[in-house]
Amino acid sequence: MKVPSLRANAIAATLILSAGFALVFFYAPLDADQGFIQKIFYLHVPLAMSSLAGFVAGGICAIAHLRTGDPRWDARSYVAIHLSIIFGVGVLITGSIWAHASWGKWWVWDEPTLVSFLIVFLLYATYYPLRYAIEDRDRQARYASVFAITAGAFVPLNFVAVRMAQSLVHPRVFATANGGLPGSMLLTFLVCLAGMALLWLALVRFELAAKSASASLSRLRRALEGEPQVPAPGSRVAPGVPSSATSVT
Amino acid sequence: MPALPLDEAGKYVAAAYLVFLALILIYVAIMGAKLARIDRELSELAELAEGNRQPATGPPSADAGADQGARGGAEGKMFEREPSSREELV
Repeated sequence: MKVPSLRANAIAATLILSAGFALVFFYAPLDADQGFIQKIFYLHVPLAMSSLAGFVAGGICAIAHLRTGDPRWDARSYVAIHLSIIFGVGVLITGSIWAHASWGKWWVWDEPTLVSFLIVFLLYATYYPLRYAIEDRDRQARYASVFAITAGAFVPLNFVAVRMAQSLVHPRVFATANGGLPGSMLLTFLVCLAGMALLWLALVRFELAAKSASASLSRLRRALEGEPQVPAPGSRVAPGVPSSATSVT
Repeated sequence: MPALPLDEAGKYVAAAYLVFLALILIYVAIMGAKLARIDRELSELAELAEGNRQPATGPPSADAGADQGARGGAEGKMFEREPSSREELV
């Protein structure tokens, strides 16, 4: 299957996300209960879903890395987790803004949805110290992969646990009974979700391309300066990325 | 809980979307700075490669010119090879 180019990916993300936001403000009706503040939902939830799916994707790439030993999978896992953490920051901030508008508090500690996402976020925040505490590149990649798989498996478990919890205040928009979103809201949400997922993918591929260019440049410099083709140990630079690293992701 | 009036809710909604925009802009700015550094290093390496080539160039003659042309072509390809790996990603 031919993978669309990064440029096509970025253009599609921009167009679909713009269309989604246009639908949010010009097409989707006002929520009867929450009113205009509900518009944050179309940003907050796609961000959260993209972030959590990205953590799982990082785990899947880590499995591929451990199976094949190919450093490109390690690079993909690293970048997927990196972007998901950035999206996670967006989830926490937009969620807090919504919470303050809706509940009058920036954060509620007895709400399972919020606390569980914070736990996942903080769990992944330890990925960087773990990774860069190890100097040997191969060990660094292996340990990071094991972490990504373990934490990635925790994400769906966490999701199911939260869904099963009897939450008192956080809305359950995708209800399992008695309806859910009306059609116009669902369409708007799905367009926003598609745009956000494409944006996540485009940024992952963008970062992989930048890392690939940087790695090629380092190889070229060493070749021109007559140095051995061995990267410096303990470098803070993420895994070496061969040029085809973005072709699959 | 009753819905917030539009003028009050609008501030929160605008803040949320601006946070998202700011996150993306900060990320793109950081990546742009990294790409600028790569571009700068690439220029340095191009100068380094051209500097390495200069001392080997002898007095102009038909053979030397042909030789230089052949080497220049090879080096040109070498530099084409690296960016091409970037371009295929874009």
